Amino acid sequence: MTSGASAADVRSILSLPAAGPSSGPSQRTIPALPGTKARRSKPEGISRELYALIGPSAPSLSAQIAKPKFKQKPNLGGGGKAVKEWREFKNSARGDSMRLSHWAKASSDPDAEYPFAKYNVKSQALNYSQDEYTRLLEADTAWTKEETDYLFNLVAEYDMRFYVIADRYEYPGGEPRTIEDIKDRYYSVARRLMRNRPWPSDESSKNQALQGLQYDKDREVTRKKYIASLENRTPEQIAEEEALYVEIKRLESNERRFARERDELLRTLAGVESGLASVAIATSADEEAFSSLFGDGKGNKKKRGLDLDSPVSAGPGMISLGAAPATPTRKVQSAKSAAQDALHCIHRLDSSSSQVTKAAHQPVYLRSFKMAAPKAGLAPKVHQALGELGINHTRMVMPTRENLQIHESLIEAASSLVETKKVVDKIEMELLVLQEQLKERQTGTDKKSDNMDEDDVGKTEDADGEADDADADADEDKGERATSVATSIRSNGNGRKRLKRSMSMSSVDTTATNATRTGRKRQKA
Amino acid sequence: MSNDRVRVRGLSIYRPIIYGNTAEVMTPEERASSQFPDHTHRWTVAVRSAASSPDSKQVGGADDISYFIKRVTFKLHDTYAVPNRNVDKPPFEVTETGWGEFEVQIRINFVQESGEKAVTFYHHLKLHPWAAVGSGDPEIPAPEVAAKAGPVHSWQYDEVVFNDPFQSFLNVLTQHPPTPLPKLKRRPIPFHIANPASISDTKEDGTPEFCVAMIEDEAKRLEDGRKLVVAEAEKWRTILIEKEKELEALKAQVETS
Repeated sequence: MTSGASAADVRSILSLPAAGPSSGPSQRTIPALPGTKARRSKPEGISRELYALIGPSAPSLSAQIAKPKFKQKPNLGGGGKAVKEWREFKNSARGDSMRLSHWAKASSDPDAEYPFAKYNVKSQALNYSQDEYTRLLEADTAWTKEETDYLFNLVAEYDMRFYVIADRYEYPGGEPRTIEDIKDRYYSVARRLMRNRPWPSDESSKNQALQGLQYDKDREVTRKKYIASLENRTPEQIAEEEALYVEIKRLESNERRFARERDELLRTLAGVESGLASVAIATSADEEAFSSLFGDGKGNKKKRGLDLDSPVSAGPGMISLGAAPATPTRKVQSAKSAAQDALHCIHRLDSSSSQVTKAAHQPVYLRSFKMAAPKAGLAPKVHQALGELGINHTRMVMPTRENLQIHESLIEAASSLVETKKVVDKIEMELLVLQEQLKERQTGTDKKSDNMDEDDVGKTEDADGEADDADADADEDKGERATSVATSIRSNGNGRKRLKRSMSMSSVDTTATNATRTGRKRQKA
Repeated sequence: MSNDRVRVRGLSIYRPIIYGNTAEVMTPEERASSQFPDHTHRWTVAVRSAASSPDSKQVGGADDISYFIKRVTFKLHDTYAVPNRNVDKPPFEVTETGWGEFEVQIRINFVQESGEKAVTFYHHLKLHPWAAVGSGDPEIPAPEVAAKAGPVHSWQYDEVVFNDPFQSFLNVLTQHPPTPLPKLKRRPIPFHIANPASISDTKEDGTPEFCVAMIEDEAKRLEDGRKLVVAEAEKWRTILIEKEKELEALKAQVETS
């Protein structure tokens, strides 16, 4: 039935005589009868829909007496018709410049941001540099760099919808990949990158993020196999399985009942002690009953201990009686000792790392001796970067364990920053060299087309030589020529942002730390 | 006891200490009575526990640290008579007069029970007041000015870390829990070159004191720095990846042309 159910409908269902002469839809008939309109006017305190449903036969008295107080209906939009206009809008989430139009309230701001643009959330595209690839990702020999690039492009394009990716996956010349292969590669790459990149916030959030990238390919394959086999069962197999399940449940309950009965019998015959023998197979409820039975009497303890030492003691009763007290006390102790340790400035290592030999004893040291230092090759630049941040790289105000850890991760992050910048420099150089070559070649070919015939041979040789150069430059160790070209170009002002020299920190430095370790007394002649 | 000489594995225990010096300009009368008329400052170099006792006028030294320190040797500048000063009982400090700053070598010998070797480190004896960089204050102000500014403090907090201590030594240490540093700043904080921004806090009157807030402050400074660096690294990595792609494209172009 739709909402159009009317009083006439209800009457016909309840086989009541029709209220009016018309048999048409009552919505139309009611206003058509002006004579009855006054009588039919809806009484106060009854909603229009309800009145339409039950008609004038409503218990009007009760409605009058128990007049329910309803909240006033909210006044939305002020009653007046909203003026709307057909208007073009700009969707900032669109990559193209397509303009669509929609009806908008004339009163609204025509330049307002399209409110639905924010829902077009792009998943964060993961990317890696050549250096990161060779360092971290090359280990998986089943994938080449090109194919991994292809995969990551697909992932970015299809927004990590792996079913689509797996469907569209067609790497030319590559072996066929299942969706599990693809996911496995993607997630393992993502995990490795995340683990090795400096993380902006604390360790636990990093671990959490890593947890989100967990993917176990084997487990996933097995899981799918299980599901497939589960779905592929024949009706007979399903029926048999169910029958077996019912059967085993029946057997189990039988056995339990039998055990209980035997137990009771033994107890009545031979007393409480002998009943223990069946603890092993008793239900958990029975166990509880047992332990509460035994829990009180202290004099019983020794006897029980003896009993439990007998072969019988292998049952679960043993756990609840013997081993249980050990664990809670230990926990309590560790909670208490944490405060104690803090008071005494004690730090306990994990038990795994404590397995050191006596020869490896680490002698006493001052905490600040263990301040992290960057790799020697990067040290000057790292120090410069830290100096810019106003952080002294040789000293700390409060070298506590936690602060040293933060300091270490800071140094790590700074080192990776410096390394990245170095690689960017290198690549920029190569880029410039290549651009120059391209330019030269273009002018060369232009010239060639001008006077084609004569020194054709010479020109091609020239071009060959340049191509060789280009290859050499592209290699790791760039030739001298490449460097000189690049530096000369760079000095022309196409400079990258260099770290500014910090004057303040370095000057403070020299006064206090770099100064005489030699014991030279200043000002002394 | 037989198990006393057993090392407690997997445990490290530390004691917070401070080392450094205070220096004051000598009055003309003092200088006149001194046997070295060219000496301008009276200074004290010391190794103490980190927490200050609430009503004392000195930095640190709330606890007696002789339960784990047997001797502190201060190696002064060679121009002093007997440059090696051994201090075998608390307070572990040397007071002298002089006119120049130099590096003091400090060696701490630990008590017999610890079974540990000595540790050696340096402290730059600071006589002249700290000056904010770029403030234009002369590095060595005139004695009258310096005398008015009050004593100069230069202190370094550090922690003596014992790894896998002997049981007996651990017992000794746990019998002497160090006085915890005050949570909040109650007095000016000691100036440190690693935190030049703190100079305004250190300029207040009164004896400086170490507090937990300083640890947190440094952690925050380091963490902020790290966040900046990580963000920067992130930015450069995207640049790098872009450049690599550009290079790749250009290489392809060079090869085809």
